[in-house]
Amino acid sequence: MMPGGGSTKRGAPSGMAHLARLLQFSDSTLPIGSFAFSNGLESALQTGVVSNADSLLRYVELILRQTSRMDGIALLHAHRAALSGDYDGILEADQEIFCRRVGEEQQLMLTRVGKKFAELVLKISPSPVLERWLGDIKAGNTPGCYPVGQAIALAHMGADEREAFVMHQYGVASMILSAALRLMRIDHLDTQRILFTAQGRVEGDYSAVRELTLDEMASFAPVFDVLVAHHTTTHVRLFMN
Amino acid sequence: MSLHEQLGRLDAAREVSGFKSEPAQMRAAAPGKVGELRLGFSLRGGRSVLHDLYRVAPLLVQQALYFDEAMPELPICPIISVGGGILQGDRYKIDIKVEAGASAQVTTQSANRVHQMDANYASQHQTVTVESGAYLEYLPDFTILYRDSRFINQTDIVIAADATLIYGEMILAGRKHHHADERFGFDLLSMAVTARRPDGKKLFTEKLLIEKGDPTIDDPAVMKGFDAFANVLCLTPPDVATRIKERFGTNFPDEAPRAISGVSRLPNGAGLMLRAVGVESYDVRREVRRFWQIVREEARGRTLPQEFLWR
Repeated sequence: MMPGGGSTKRGAPSGMAHLARLLQFSDSTLPIGSFAFSNGLESALQTGVVSNADSLLRYVELILRQTSRMDGIALLHAHRAALSGDYDGILEADQEIFCRRVGEEQQLMLTRVGKKFAELVLKISPSPVLERWLGDIKAGNTPGCYPVGQAIALAHMGADEREAFVMHQYGVASMILSAALRLMRIDHLDTQRILFTAQGRVEGDYSAVRELTLDEMASFAPVFDVLVAHHTTTHVRLFMN
Repeated sequence: MSLHEQLGRLDAAREVSGFKSEPAQMRAAAPGKVGELRLGFSLRGGRSVLHDLYRVAPLLVQQALYFDEAMPELPICPIISVGGGILQGDRYKIDIKVEAGASAQVTTQSANRVHQMDANYASQHQTVTVESGAYLEYLPDFTILYRDSRFINQTDIVIAADATLIYGEMILAGRKHHHADERFGFDLLSMAVTARRPDGKKLFTEKLLIEKGDPTIDDPAVMKGFDAFANVLCLTPPDVATRIKERFGTNFPDEAPRAISGVSRLPNGAGLMLRAVGVESYDVRREVRRFWQIVREEARGRTLPQEFLWR
C-alpha cells in the first residue's frame, strides 16, 4: 500500500489520494511510450476504413469491444492472481495473452509498453511482485504484456478489478484518439466528444467478460487483422502500429 | 485422449450451452452421427505414403492419390462427406499425422455445408501432428454456414521446429443468394486453434467467436461489404517465414476491392497468418492460392499447378 491514502477496515484504500493516483496512472501523458502506437488507425485511415469523426467513433468502439474480450480478460485474471498471491497465475495470463497476439507490431506494442510501465511504477513505489515480474521479463521468462503489468501495479495500489478494467479500457481509447489528432483532420473537441461517448460502453464490456476464462479470449475482426498486416508493409508512416 | 474426452470438452463450452435440445431425428452423437477419420503419412522407401487410415462414416477417405503435377511426390487425400453436409447433433473427429520427413496434402471434395438447425449443434475436433522435417498442406474447401446453424470446432496442432504446415479455414457467411437472412444468419460459429511444440511449449492460440446478433459484423473494420473470409496459418521456421512474408504483398486496393488480404507474424516465432476477406468465395480463394503458392515454393521448392477448371 502506498502511503498517504486512507483505508477502510478491511484494508481496501478509499479516499482522495487513492483516486488521485488512479487518475495519475490513467493519464494519457504517462511516459510509457503509448504515444508511438495508433492501434491500426494509421492503416485504417490510409485504406478509408476510418475517414471522419463518425467512423472514428465506430472504430474506437470496435477496438474497445475487441480489447475487452482479449486483453481485458487477461487483465482481470492477472489482477485476481496478484491479489491472491498466485504468481504462476500472473505468468499464465501473460503467456496466454501474448500467444494470441498476431502481428509483430501488435506484439511490440503489448510488450514494450508493458515493460516501460513496470519500470516507471518501480521508480515511483516499491512492489515486490512487479519487481519479480520485471526480472522475469528481462530474463526472457515471460513476455511482459501491458495489461498484466497494469493489473499487478493496480492490485498493489489497492485498486479493485473494476477500476483496473476501466483504466485499461480508457488507456486504449485515449491512445487511439491521441493518434487521431496527429493523423486526421479532427480537433480536440471532437476527440473528447468521441471519448466521452465511447466510455459509455465500459460497464457492458466488463459484464460481458468478467466470468470468462483465459481460454475464452476470442475475437472476430478480419478487416482489422488485414489492417494490422497492411501497416507492416507501409513505407511512409508516423506510428509503430 | 479418447474421442469422447475431446468432444466432451466441446460439449462443455459456454457458447453451446443454449443449444442442448435433442434433434427430433436421431439423437445427438448417436452411432452414425459420430464421424471419425485418422490419417497417418510416413516415408516408405523414400516415398511419402498414407500408411494409416481409419474411418467411420459420415467421414470418408478412400486412398491417397498422386495427381499434383508440380509436386508429383505428394500424396493427396480428399475427405469425402457421405452425409452431404454437417447436420445437427453431428460429432466429428479428425486426426492427421505426418511422420518425420514425409509430405502430404489433405483437402475436401467440395464445400463443407453446415445445415440449418432447430435443435442441438455440430462439433468437430481435429488433431494435426507434423513431425521433424515433415510438410503438410491441410486446406479444406469453404465451410458454408446455413442460417440458424451452430458449429464449434477445435484444432490442436503439434509441430516440430523444422516442419512446415499450411492449415486454412475458409468461411462463407451463408448461402448469400438463397435468402435475405442467410448472411451471418447462423446462431454460432466458434473456431479455436492451438499450436504447440512436441515438448508442449505453447506457440500460438486463437479463438474466433461469432454469435447471432453480433452488432459489429457490419463494422467497416469487421465484414462490411464482404461475405467470405479465410484464416490461413503457416507454421514454419522463422527464416522461411521471413522469405514468405517478403514475397506476399498486402492487397488492400482503394476502390471497391473484391478481396483484401495481408500476412502477419505469429508470436513465439511460430510462423505466419494470412487473413483474407472477400465478396465471393472465389475472391478469397484467389488470395489463399497466392499465399499457398509462395509457401510451397519457399518451404519445398515446388510451385502450385494450375487450378482445375471445375474448381
